[in-house]
Amino acid sequence: MTQIDITRDQLVVTMRGLDRLWTLRRRIAVPLTSVRGATADPGVTRESAGFRAPGTHLPGVITAGTYVKDGERTFWNVRRSQQPVVVELTGQRFARLVLGVDDARATAERIERSLTRR
Amino acid sequence: MGRPRSFDEESAVARAAELFADHGYEGTSVDDLVRGLGVHRGSLYSAFGSKRALYLRVLREHVTALESDDEDLTLLLRAAVERAPVDPDAAELVGTGLDVLGRRLPATPDDRPAALARLLGEHLIRRATTPSTTTEDT
Repeated sequence: MTQIDITRDQLVVTMRGLDRLWTLRRRIAVPLTSVRGATADPGVTRESAGFRAPGTHLPGVITAGTYVKDGERTFWNVRRSQQPVVVELTGQRFARLVLGVDDARATAERIERSLTRR
Repeated sequence: MGRPRSFDEESAVARAAELFADHGYEGTSVDDLVRGLGVHRGSLYSAFGSKRALYLRVLREHVTALESDDEDLTLLLRAAVERAPVDPDAAELVGTGLDVLGRRLPATPDDRPAALARLLGEHLIRRATTPSTTTEDT
């Protein structure tokens, strides 16, 4: 399970339970000034995530960890039962985050809203 | 960072405007944008940041174009109904668009709201009674 929190100036992504194992990460914190936007994107999981480096991939079930595609590094943590939200970053280790949540539309709007307030 | 743009951003924005005008914000998925704009998903995100950021850019350019052209008002009307109530940035752009339209009308400031309502109403009726010429995706 991925928990997404927005603090005053950071977007904090926390991996819960076994997701720490799949992604090999517990937490990713990004300054809100480095977040360019968030989008509910159900189609993103139908495309190849790229090369796993490192992470876990059970096709159609779980995509987790660091993936490299077209020279861009993306952090994934999505499983089949979840809705993907794509968070675009700038000037960070990851070009973007693809995170599985219960309600991608609401999550994307919540993140976008925090950028509007800035 | 990221790879260089391999597509013409301006024509991509113009194509996105058509998609958003035809299908609305929620009705246009990222898949629709990837297909319709002919760009890679990664390029779309690195160019525009998010679907909402692209939508706001489209809406901003539409509002600017209202200054001069006899623009089609569908995008503005759709934004007014669909996005303005839930998105303060969209609401502000819609407000600006309505101001721009109002100022262009040959009416005194007092008569402007009525003239604007009439213009928007006429556009809605025309849209509702004219068969669509755009080809719908199946």
